[in-house]
Amino acid sequence: MIEIRIHGRGGQGAVIASEVLADAVFQEGKYVQSFPAFGVERRGAPVTAFTRINDKPIRIRTQIYTPDHIMVLDPTLLEVVDVTAGLKDGAWILINSAKPPHTFTFPDRYRVATVDANAIAVKYHLGPRNAPIINTAILGAFARLTGIVSLETLCNAVRAAVPINPEGNVAAVKEAYEQVIGDGQ
Amino acid sequence: MRKVVTGNYAVSWGAKLARAQVIAAYPITPQTSIIEKLASFCANGEMDARFIKVESEHSAMAACIGASAVGARAFTATSGQGLLLMHEVVHWAAGARLPIVMGVVNRAIAPGWSIWTEQNDTLSQRDTGWIQFYCETNQEVLDTTIQAFKIAEKVFLPAMIVLDAFVLSHTSEAVDIPEQAEVDAFLPPYRPPLKLDPEDPRAFGALVLPGEYMELRYKMQKAMEQALSVAEEVDREWGERFGRSWGLVEPYRLDDAELALVTSGTVTGTSREVVDALREEGVKIGLLKVRLFRPFPHQIIREMLAGVRKVAVIDRNISFGDSGVFAQEVRAALYHADKRPPVFDFVAGLGGRDIVPETIREIVDYTVTHDAPTEEFTWVGVKI
Amino acid sequence: MKKETEARVIVFTSEAEMPMMPASVASTLYNKTGSWRYMRPLYKNQTPPCNAACPAGEDIVMHLQLTAQGRYAEAWETLVRENPFPGVCGRVCPHPCESECNREYLGGAIAIHCQERFLADYAAAHHLSLPTTNVPQREEQIAVIGAGPAGLSCAYHLRRMGYQVTVFEAGEKPGGMMRLIPEYRLPKEVLEREIAAIIALGVEVKTGMRLGVDLALKDLQGYAAVFLAIGQSVSRRLDVPGEDAVGVLHGIDFLARVERGQKVDLGKKVAVIGGGNTAMDAARTARRLGADVTILYRRSRAEMPAIDEEVHETLDEGVKIEFLRAPVAVLTANGRVRGLRLTRIELGAPDASGRRRPVPVAGSEYELEFDTVIPALGQVADLTFLSAEVQTERGRIITDEKTATTRLPIFAGGDAATGFGTVTAAVGSGKRAALAIDSFLRGVERPFPDLAQNVQVAPRPHDPNVVRFEDLNTAYFEEIPRPPQDQRPAAQRVTTFQEVNLGYGEDVALAEARRCFSCGTCNECDNCLIFCPDVAVLRGPSDDEPFVFNYDYCKGCGICVSECPRRAILFAEEIKFNDQ
Repeated sequence: MIEIRIHGRGGQGAVIASEVLADAVFQEGKYVQSFPAFGVERRGAPVTAFTRINDKPIRIRTQIYTPDHIMVLDPTLLEVVDVTAGLKDGAWILINSAKPPHTFTFPDRYRVATVDANAIAVKYHLGPRNAPIINTAILGAFARLTGIVSLETLCNAVRAAVPINPEGNVAAVKEAYEQVIGDGQ
Repeated sequence: MRKVVTGNYAVSWGAKLARAQVIAAYPITPQTSIIEKLASFCANGEMDARFIKVESEHSAMAACIGASAVGARAFTATSGQGLLLMHEVVHWAAGARLPIVMGVVNRAIAPGWSIWTEQNDTLSQRDTGWIQFYCETNQEVLDTTIQAFKIAEKVFLPAMIVLDAFVLSHTSEAVDIPEQAEVDAFLPPYRPPLKLDPEDPRAFGALVLPGEYMELRYKMQKAMEQALSVAEEVDREWGERFGRSWGLVEPYRLDDAELALVTSGTVTGTSREVVDALREEGVKIGLLKVRLFRPFPHQIIREMLAGVRKVAVIDRNISFGDSGVFAQEVRAALYHADKRPPVFDFVAGLGGRDIVPETIREIVDYTVTHDAPTEEFTWVGVKI
Repeated sequence: MKKETEARVIVFTSEAEMPMMPASVASTLYNKTGSWRYMRPLYKNQTPPCNAACPAGEDIVMHLQLTAQGRYAEAWETLVRENPFPGVCGRVCPHPCESECNREYLGGAIAIHCQERFLADYAAAHHLSLPTTNVPQREEQIAVIGAGPAGLSCAYHLRRMGYQVTVFEAGEKPGGMMRLIPEYRLPKEVLEREIAAIIALGVEVKTGMRLGVDLALKDLQGYAAVFLAIGQSVSRRLDVPGEDAVGVLHGIDFLARVERGQKVDLGKKVAVIGGGNTAMDAARTARRLGADVTILYRRSRAEMPAIDEEVHETLDEGVKIEFLRAPVAVLTANGRVRGLRLTRIELGAPDASGRRRPVPVAGSEYELEFDTVIPALGQVADLTFLSAEVQTERGRIITDEKTATTRLPIFAGGDAATGFGTVTAAVGSGKRAALAIDSFLRGVERPFPDLAQNVQVAPRPHDPNVVRFEDLNTAYFEEIPRPPQDQRPAAQRVTTFQEVNLGYGEDVALAEARRCFSCGTCNECDNCLIFCPDVAVLRGPSDDEPFVFNYDYCKGCGICVSECPRRAILFAEEIKFNDQ
């Protein structure tokens, strides 16, 4: 079973990202479960969302405490939240940032990657200009790093989930897929 | 059609496929998305139902009572405080023998304010005359919603589908959404024998003298007893048509078990994982999931638990001054059994505290290491 | 309906015989609960206060109801059935309907005049023609003297009844006093349109025919009836020394000259004397011609007869009003006005009109310089041409409630007979005369209320009781403010004769109509149907009878009466019906 934790801020689309990822993986025949951190949410406040992926039915109904990978939609969260809490060795830490991965300091047991999802979202006019929607782009990068889901399936899931400008979102997924920079790559 | 949906949307889809004709509801976290989805179904024409906005849960149920009394299929949903505000008319719906179906998202009761899961809200409605199902997965939620209409309309008692706040209500997973035609074949339109009709007026809900009141209650109880076999038949038919059924209770690896966990709701899924892990470690453990809580399947539970040496009930609820409610019921069911295993009761996960595999292992460890309970119940994970 | 008329007492001997729920096994129809009714509800519309107050007898509630449903053409037809001048009245009527409107207490009276204007403008924009009536044409010829609002209203209604009507007008154009209302309040185009629509129905108008000059009463003997609507054309005098000096110009003469496009040299400083609408019109017109204008009024603001909005607009435009002042002399130099000698006034005891009598303050006289003095003290009728057979009293033609003069078949109305002094009252007066002439010629009796009350051509059945705010069930009504009407800014207004008030657009008119309580008038809200605990309220057979009571089962509990938001259900002692 693979457990993924997404860190974002209220309004950034962390919950939707967890659902789109689940839907995409489900389309490839796997069992999935996605859910927000159980609680109240507020725009701008740190939020988390989760996706579980397995080859057999997922019966466990707890929150995720030891994720296999994490995504961080806003790098400033690194100063606020212990994003690596419980994170398993060898995990990918994917950060939405224009900076290269080595500028972030994490223990060696983790792999760090960055993608400038903000720039991509702005380029494809995703969301309002004052709050670009970056959750689809980050999934493209995540798919490339982990190989958890194929680019094509992910694009289909994004197309089905996004009510406005689906093709722009798909283009963003593809661009992030190409642009993501992994540690040591 | 298989679709990744939340538990709440599974409820909405169930009500839609059941062709509910009147939906009267008041929003409350964590139920809100159930009625948002239904309102959207009604607004965009996907559902031919009258959506009634009301000013409280009491009014929501009152509107459902009126709708059901004229012969419409009525649906509502609520949670926690909302259910408690509704309480008076919850009784009324049952006494009037109206097969209303209600989705209830289990939410802990204030104060302290909580929006997280706990069963005290629905268990406090235990004696109202409503059928109650506690669900483990989103698929079960959807299937049970549709089944509930059929069962309720056969025995003329209302039914609740209960799901845990967030753990199911806001969790997405794949759900098979049946075709409308298949559901239509399973669930015929509601045809009440007696209904409010200005063309053929009757007095409803009038004064009943002591000479007749008890007979009405006798009939309610008979209907509840009948609901046991009806629920079983309906679930069997569902299985035949849709390839899955859920049982009134579900034993898991219980055949040769010496220790039986008794669970309800989403704790069951996590417990299955623990049972499997402990079996690997050689522990003879099994699980009994209670899906139907009212009517309580005493006989089946008695039979299922007769062979085990110990029973450990996980109660995500508490009856203050006594113990967990499921444990009370299980103990009562076992009282008339020839062999009565000791029943350990564990109150855990109140106010939405996560019940993780370690919590369940703690419960099992306690049960294994004690011959018999030393107290009415045991608190789990309380910082004492 | 399945009838079970016999009572049955069922004694259950086992639970199996019982219904599963506490419900009666048999029908309850046998139990005719209406038998012990002491009070009986009756669907009977009552009189809305606006309708009661409308001098032209419009069915305001009904046209608002139709507007509220977006049925503008029908609303307009409802309106013009009673009043062919909605565009005029919507602009210039002092709207006594709004003063009585029960909405006043929950957000402000309905802006009925704006609604009326909206409908008139809607009809114009959509080129709607006045609805024709499908009645047999009558041979009788009727003469109407005066093409003011009373004469034209009378001609319009008589024409709709099938009569042949000729209107004789002294002036060059029809319209009477309406023509003197300044362009910025009533664009001529609106007036011309509504007059043209009446003429288009087949009314003949002969202008330049002054009674007593160009024709005499005896010339009209060939007509089956004559309606005198000659108005009041003679200005009241100041009765002070110097009044005939050059530079003293009476209000209506001034307005008439401006209307005809004649140049009027006012000089710099202008005094307007009076507190009525003509005074406001004269002052605001003079202001637009560039003068520095002061209105002098002998009473206080509270007693001013001018429409309140008009007074506000006048002040906004920079006209000064001095209260409690009266002229005692026009000061002249070389036969020309140079100013006024004024006295201060105190208000004494109320006079016959109910207003406090102005009393000059001794020794308070002072002088002010003016280049022009415009007295606007009202007018009286010129009745010099009337023969002794048509009797007059205190400057007015004597009529009864059927508008008949003392010499049949001569009828009279409008200001010359009533002195009411508004377009709307004149419209109502003309309509009353038309109905009276028709009754007279056909020899049929029909009831005519007192002259102070209005008449309708097409009255709906209703109770004369007027619904007041306390009669309504206000639990059903929220406070919603009256929307303001767009207005040209004052600074712009004083440089132009363009219309000041811009009316309501469709959205506002629709919302405003929906704010109407529909006092006393069923609008099929269904409350009675919903609330009746005995299902004794049933849907009626037609739109005219939307609901009926099933008195077999109505217990007379009165819930329908109290839950009717608008008092459209009466509650009467059952004993009254026992003989029926």
